[in-house]
Amino acid sequence: MMNVEIKKLELAAVRSRLNALRMLRAGGSGHIGGAFSAMDAVTALYFHKMKCDPADPGMKDRDRFILSAGHKCLAQYAVLAEKGYFPKAILDTYGQLKTKLPGHPDMHKLPGVEANTGALGHGLSIGVGMAMGLRLDGSPANVFVVMGDGELPEGSNWEAAMAAAHHGLDNLTVLLDNNGLQISGDVRSIMDLYPIDGHFAAFGWNTVTIDGNDMSELVGTLDGVPFKNGKPTLILMKTVKAKGLKIGEGKAAYHYWSPKPDELKQAEDDLRAEESRLEAEIKAVRV
Amino acid sequence: MKGVLEDPRKLFGAVISELALQDDRIVIMSADSGKSSGFGDFAAKVPERYFECGIMEQGVTGISSGLATTGKIPVFCAIAPFVTARPFEMFRNDLGYMRQNVKMVGRNGGITYSTLGSTHHSLDDFGLMRLIPGVVSLFPQDPDEIRGACRAMIEHEGPVYMRIGNAKIPGLFDEDIPFVIGKGRKISDGADVTVISTGPLTGSVMEAVSRLRTAGISCDHIGLPTVWPLDEKLILESAVKTGKVVTVEEHYTDGGLGTMVADLCSEKHPVPVRKLGIPNSYATSGPYDELLQYYGLDPDGIAASISSFIR
Repeated sequence: MMNVEIKKLELAAVRSRLNALRMLRAGGSGHIGGAFSAMDAVTALYFHKMKCDPADPGMKDRDRFILSAGHKCLAQYAVLAEKGYFPKAILDTYGQLKTKLPGHPDMHKLPGVEANTGALGHGLSIGVGMAMGLRLDGSPANVFVVMGDGELPEGSNWEAAMAAAHHGLDNLTVLLDNNGLQISGDVRSIMDLYPIDGHFAAFGWNTVTIDGNDMSELVGTLDGVPFKNGKPTLILMKTVKAKGLKIGEGKAAYHYWSPKPDELKQAEDDLRAEESRLEAEIKAVRV
Repeated sequence: MKGVLEDPRKLFGAVISELALQDDRIVIMSADSGKSSGFGDFAAKVPERYFECGIMEQGVTGISSGLATTGKIPVFCAIAPFVTARPFEMFRNDLGYMRQNVKMVGRNGGITYSTLGSTHHSLDDFGLMRLIPGVVSLFPQDPDEIRGACRAMIEHEGPVYMRIGNAKIPGLFDEDIPFVIGKGRKISDGADVTVISTGPLTGSVMEAVSRLRTAGISCDHIGLPTVWPLDEKLILESAVKTGKVVTVEEHYTDGGLGTMVADLCSEKHPVPVRKLGIPNSYATSGPYDELLQYYGLDPDGIAASISSFIR
């Protein structure tokens, strides 16, 4: 893929992070850490990989996206808004009475949301059912489930992982956001869930490990999945918690963030500088 | 047909299988539970629409929801506590909150798995389902109503919970009326007390009502194959007429049909309500008929409770 195309995706991810900060400006707080670690992957899915149409969110044979770690919804809302699923003015209702943007996604409130997730460790089961139904219909559509590492101890994940392999669902791909931190600290100290790829492989999955904050790696990997070899696929993404929020990167304390006004302004300024840099680079290539 | 004994599990499996052969939106879900729910033949005939997942009821509930988002109508039948209490959160979020068209069927419900102990009894299922907005709860009273309920729940758009029992049950009614979700059936007219029952226990209540009639007590007997939503009109008309209500159910007296009827009456037409069922405890084990007798849910026990209530 051309370098400029990667830069455009990076730009979409930066703008999506700005959309997330716009929601925080309206609502005052949110799950920034996991949203920002997953933002590059969610952007790559919607802007590069998935067959989807914001003008026709229920399009037949669209690829399905499920955010199992529903508390990362700032990422989903931000990317859906950037992609044009709904007017950006809706972002300014985050945290308000009767908002369409609850703290965990609701499919009946917002176009583009396919499942009500956030009760952790369970989005994969819904994704398995979608993949079964699409295959039964002979649909070419694929299902992508974004999971967090902190939700892995939930048993329902492993019920779904077992069922996906048993039923040979090679139209199903998990992108696992392994930022290594959850609300109380290092995932390893809370429940040692490594080797994540080893566990999925033992259940009969394809696995591949990438840098989930590197757009080139994301695109290169997504271009090759699903492998269609009779097995579901895990993309284990090594990521940085709160990636793109300079004061919070790699810190568990930024799982949930209630920014002070000057902190929020600094974060916006940083991202706007990044936006300008990418815009200039893209323009220079075009000229 | 009145008086004819039929196996509720086999009957349910046969009726749904027949419907599924005609409607390819219907898919059968199994947590190592499909064949004992009467789907063995269907699994052999249409393996692509029979999803065996092993014993993972929480997973199967989520998987069913995902299938439903693609336009399928999943039917998932297993032992009643394992499709209600165990996957309660998944029922609430994936089926209720997501409003998915999934049919959950609890077999061997109530205390019909009598000797297997409280892990296998379901005496809280209707109470749990009542708390999930948008879920319909069915408990057919006899084989013909099982036939009707199966068709009605497939035609109904949205999540449904249906309970069926274990042992063979008799046909109770002369007339096979069309099954309409939310509609009850006036079984006998009376003036002294309203008696409301659900499920096959209605047969024992009919027997009790008959004995009471001989003793000079006339009961207005209503049978409810739909536990929720209640047939408010039928219940209130009778409560207004008699001024006293008794409910009879194979469920805890807390949170079940009796509680729902008492809630309705307290809001719309306050009258005394006596709730007959199982007290809120872990029910003891034993032969089914003896268990019912132990909890006063045999015809004699029901008649005695009604008689003491109105005197």
